[in-house]
Amino acid sequence: MLINATKTLTQLKQIMKNTMKTLTLITALFFSLSVSAHERFILPSHTVLSGDKTQSVSHTASISNAIFHGDRPLGNNDKGIETKNLSMLFKRLQTVVIGPDGTSSKLSWQAFSRFSVADMQVEQSGTYRIAIVQPNTPMTTFKKSDGSFGRFFGDKGVVPEKATNVVRRTTASRVETYVSFNEPNRVSLKPTGQGLELAGESHPNDLFTNELISFQLHFQGAPLNEVTEVKLVQGATRHRNQRDEKIIKTDAQGRFSLTIKQAGFYLLSANVDVEGQTGSGIDIHHYGLYATLEVFPQ
Amino acid sequence: MKNLLNSLMVFYLVATALNSQQVDASELSVEVSIPKIDSQPYHKPYVSIWLETRKRKGVHTLAFWHEQSDWFKDLRQWWRKIGQQKSPAYDQVTGATKKPGRYQVKITREAFAELALAPGEYFLNVEAVREEGGREFIRQKITLGSGERKTYQKSGKHELGNIVINVTP
Repeated sequence: MLINATKTLTQLKQIMKNTMKTLTLITALFFSLSVSAHERFILPSHTVLSGDKTQSVSHTASISNAIFHGDRPLGNNDKGIETKNLSMLFKRLQTVVIGPDGTSSKLSWQAFSRFSVADMQVEQSGTYRIAIVQPNTPMTTFKKSDGSFGRFFGDKGVVPEKATNVVRRTTASRVETYVSFNEPNRVSLKPTGQGLELAGESHPNDLFTNELISFQLHFQGAPLNEVTEVKLVQGATRHRNQRDEKIIKTDAQGRFSLTIKQAGFYLLSANVDVEGQTGSGIDIHHYGLYATLEVFPQ
Repeated sequence: MKNLLNSLMVFYLVATALNSQQVDASELSVEVSIPKIDSQPYHKPYVSIWLETRKRKGVHTLAFWHEQSDWFKDLRQWWRKIGQQKSPAYDQVTGATKKPGRYQVKITREAFAELALAPGEYFLNVEAVREEGGREFIRQKITLGSGERKTYQKSGKHELGNIVINVTP
């Protein structure tokens, strides 16, 4: 009888432990979603160019929920305004342009109050891929004893006493767009292997209304092997009452297809969460992708 | 010049006579529902409920639920008619944003007496806007001071649910 009771107690403890684990994971997922509260984007002046002389493209980049209307800068070469509390983040960003021949170069983003600006020269024919890459950035979120939420970046912060729902995470993102000069090619579209990337059949500089567009999400260099959701929003949300976000489900290999009725600039975004390895000190790794696409009329 | 002064005098007297008839014994109550919206992340909407003249001049704000002043402008109609000028003052009716549910706000008889409105047609407006969400603006023409009890109903499609306006003489 006594033995049975002990056994039952052990079983009960195990069930409790499992339940707690599940709860922690659910909380982690919830937080990871609510943390990515702001959209990011690069808006190129042109995505399709032609000619036999070097051409220029001017880009703006911003952290903003008003799609393609700037709110805060994204990137700083120290020649623009002081970006204060965003400086830490900007120091971590890698600004990469992959050219039509696959070589990488940097892009210098100057911060203004509401967005950052970068000028780019296109010399070689083919497709340029412009990215602002945020590598894994540690961040801890928690609920303070008074019920309010707190967070800190990096690993030097201190979780207040009596805080609950402590989630240690990393966030990484790629903010991208594409520009083609004369004949587009696919060299720069090849996934780099870092984070969540856009690949697949359609060329991002050959998108037209009412034509089937097919892409595939790649994660860490391989097709994403899970079903996820992709969000598509047309620019100028500020001038509409509804955001009209289109949610598209991928298949189990990250593939998705869509047609677009209205020409314009669109922001495509997706997220993937990966549980941290036991003992790594990280509960969840968050990866985001924000790709700006231009769609032309027939 | 004398003629002009006379005309002005007559105008003043007529205007005063008209004004003496006020909507002072009415009560206006507005029930607004904020729908539950399945969105991640979900931010509670900024909402404002206000009264305008038929010529769209702001008369009185019944409620203004908000968080940070940076986003007041996103209640676009309320902002252009009342918020920008802070006129008529709305400090008395501000509050924190509300979670989905049904809420009632009103203009009491005492408040009506202070407003000294002429009887007639007005617009009752309800506007809601949600961060990373949509915006909705609903207006209803209402009659005040007719001595009749009146109920108006409207329904939002996105950021607002049912709206019931009751005018009680």
